[in-house]
Amino acid sequence: MNWTCEQTELLLSDYLDGLLSAAETHEFDAHVNTCARCTPLVSSVTHALSRLHALPQIEPPARLVYNILDKTLGPRETVTGWAAVLAWFRGFNAQRLAYGGVSLCAMFLTVASFTSFNWKKPRVADLSPANVYRGADRQAHLVYARSAKYVSDLRVVYEIQSRLQRSDELPGSQDSTTPQAAPDKNPGSTDGTAPASPKQQNRANDLGSRAIVLAAACPVCSEGGIR
Amino acid sequence: MEQDVQLVQQCLQGDGSAWEELVRQHNRRVFNICYRFTGNRTEAEDLTQDVFLRIYRTLGSYRSAHGGFATWMTSVTRNLLIDHYRRTKRDRATDSLDDAMPVVENKESSAKRPDEQALLGELSGQVQTALTKLSPELREAVVLRDLQQLEYGEIQRVLAVPEGTVKSRINRGRIELARILQQMGVRPS
Repeated sequence: MNWTCEQTELLLSDYLDGLLSAAETHEFDAHVNTCARCTPLVSSVTHALSRLHALPQIEPPARLVYNILDKTLGPRETVTGWAAVLAWFRGFNAQRLAYGGVSLCAMFLTVASFTSFNWKKPRVADLSPANVYRGADRQAHLVYARSAKYVSDLRVVYEIQSRLQRSDELPGSQDSTTPQAAPDKNPGSTDGTAPASPKQQNRANDLGSRAIVLAAACPVCSEGGIR
Repeated sequence: MEQDVQLVQQCLQGDGSAWEELVRQHNRRVFNICYRFTGNRTEAEDLTQDVFLRIYRTLGSYRSAHGGFATWMTSVTRNLLIDHYRRTKRDRATDSLDDAMPVVENKESSAKRPDEQALLGELSGQVQTALTKLSPELREAVVLRDLQQLEYGEIQRVLAVPEGTVKSRINRGRIELARILQQMGVRPS
């Protein structure tokens, strides 16, 4: 089949839109590749088409919708109250704005909570920078104090535990509680050894020693306690 | 499309919010058709309002059996554009260059560098200028096919001409547009 330049021009759009059959496409390509007239034609139309497809959508002016509604439905009454608030929020229906809006609200709630904003009795004055700073400063100090106390309490518990462990391991304290077997002695005779430590210690004394350990570890009782 | 038919039904029953929803859904598309055809933002805005006014007044004549609501709306838009073109044919030679200057678009290319954006804007302007130099029959065919991505069958219903005529106009429009762009010095890269 002899493909002509007229056929090329006539079927150019069909070729660019992919509407030609495989055989026609083959003939078309074979002709264009060898024709000095058709090659620049196909190239220029392809280029023009790509430029056309690259044209972006134009955003109409925002007032266009309201102008149309005014002309068709007539001027509308000014919306007030909650209806106005809801109408304003309608703009956030767009997905891309909804995500940003939710993030903004979450951030605002976090900041407001951190600055001890009173949700039960909200006041506009609470949102002033000076009050926000004071609230944030107070909250920060409270959090610091609570954290410091918590760490200190942990330290006390650790100290107590470790001292109790150590006092349990001391030889004296073990002898005081465990009754030892009396050495074999014949009545009226000695074995030449030094007299042994007291076999039993007063339980009150033992408790007292633990109280002394507790008192030593407790920072409140010491001079350098936390303010 | 089903949603459009429901909204039209509600509009005919007097539901103003349904009409507002229709306007919000279609105003961008209609505005773009008008702008690409006229090349003038102010005219496009006025024509878009006229289109919706015409649609509002003749909503009762829409029949879903004859095609989608968007196709019907495009048909009304095209008719008004042709009427406007004929009315303003005499005045076109005296239009100021400022009115005919295309708008810098590129709302979706904000990630590009400024020089790339400027180049894109300039090329878009050249293509828009070339479009407005086409005859109205070829221009509307190219706008509907290559900018609005309508199928041949839809364009046939909008223009009320046979499909062969639609294909012929699109083909001639594209070739003519390429020739105009070459004359303006916009060459393939």
